[in-house]
Amino acid sequence: MSILEVQGLTKRYPSFLLDGVTFSMEQGRVMGLIGRNGAGKTTTLKSIFNLVHPDGGAVRIFGLEMPRDERAIKQRIGYAGGAVDFYSRKKLSQIVDVTKRFYDDWDDDACRKYLDAFSLDKNKTPRELSEGMRVKFSLTLALSHRAELLILDEPTSGLDPVSRAELLDAFLFLKKKGVSILFSTHITTDLEKCADDITYIARGKLIASEPLASFMGTNAKAGHGETLEEIMVHYEKESLYEKLADERV
Amino acid sequence: MKSLLMKEFKLAASPLAYIFLVGALMTLLPGYPILMSAFFICFGVFHSFQNAREVNDVLYTALLPVKKSDFVKAKYAFTCIIQLCGFILCAALTAVRMTAFSAAAPYVSNALMNATPVFLAFVLLIFAAFNALFVGGFFKTAYKIGIPFLTFGIATLLLVALAETLPHLPGLSFLHDPAGEKLGAQFAALAAAVLVYALATVFACQKAKKRFERIDL
Repeated sequence: MSILEVQGLTKRYPSFLLDGVTFSMEQGRVMGLIGRNGAGKTTTLKSIFNLVHPDGGAVRIFGLEMPRDERAIKQRIGYAGGAVDFYSRKKLSQIVDVTKRFYDDWDDDACRKYLDAFSLDKNKTPRELSEGMRVKFSLTLALSHRAELLILDEPTSGLDPVSRAELLDAFLFLKKKGVSILFSTHITTDLEKCADDITYIARGKLIASEPLASFMGTNAKAGHGETLEEIMVHYEKESLYEKLADERV
Repeated sequence: MKSLLMKEFKLAASPLAYIFLVGALMTLLPGYPILMSAFFICFGVFHSFQNAREVNDVLYTALLPVKKSDFVKAKYAFTCIIQLCGFILCAALTAVRMTAFSAAAPYVSNALMNATPVFLAFVLLIFAAFNALFVGGFFKTAYKIGIPFLTFGIATLLLVALAETLPHLPGLSFLHDPAGEKLGAQFAALAAAVLVYALATVFACQKAKKRFERIDL
């Protein structure tokens, strides 16, 4: 069953066009949204979450329509960005106390469990946490309201290797529990460890959206590379050397 | 809505919003443009908006299962509650000046605006300007606060100048009169200001909701 369906998502900025992106995601899967910096990953995720207004296309989550059913959808999904931190000088306990009031299915026991599991001290403030711990706190908030779909924007960017490995372990655990995860990244090794599917966007256009194994197989056969990194470089590389050597410039 | 209002007080508000309520004490200063008390009360609320911007309050709220329009309403509700507290303090101090201290020499010889219901009317007009120009201006972008506050500051100066000038015009000296001889007319001015405040706030809130709905975060 498709938990997320994105149809022809289009968003125009003066210097960028997200051009009719279409993909879908099944329940209980981990999908990596990949592309180089500026490819349109964040615009795609923000459009799905109705943080930006698409110029065209449709988004359906749990069979409900965004933005028409926005409130019902947001009761069941969680969002975390890697670099964003909220209320940096407030205690985690205060943020939890306020956040729980907005969700019908908030689970205090689950909240305590994830705070403990992620070694989060609720008397600390976000500014006292490392970037990895802040992502874990966002995950805790999402999981405490029993989010069925997590949308994560570059959650592993800026993390040290150990924190990244821990976070990827958490993704695998959540996947086993039936939670679906869509996360954007340009760190291809993260995907090789935990993604079932990938959606690849380049310059605002969809290159592929399919199971990771089939994407790797097809590209290996075509000689585009054996690893995700090699495949991305194949699709994306512009010869900077030639540009610099161009005497007309 | 109740949860959003609680979020405003517990997470988004700056302590300065409460501390600057002390600005209401300016109502007691003789020889001072006491309307600046309204400006300082609004200045505290401005700090809350600045604080909210710095702690990513807008994005946090946008991720919650709430309507964007409710977020705007909660910001206006927070602003109005702080303003109401400030107004009650100004009104109480005005009552003290008009009764217990009515014969006090510094107030009798006061050349600037006296604390009367007309003063309270101008307090409300400054609050209305804040709600329309600053809060309404903030929701054009949900992050720019400089130009909206500058606009409000200019409007405040004009209102203070108007309030200080009017009683010196022929036939309008009663506006300045703390003795209460034309108390009915003064209260009529206050009632008109209550209406202007309510209409300006409701209109500004409606407009801000539409503006905020269009913004890409």
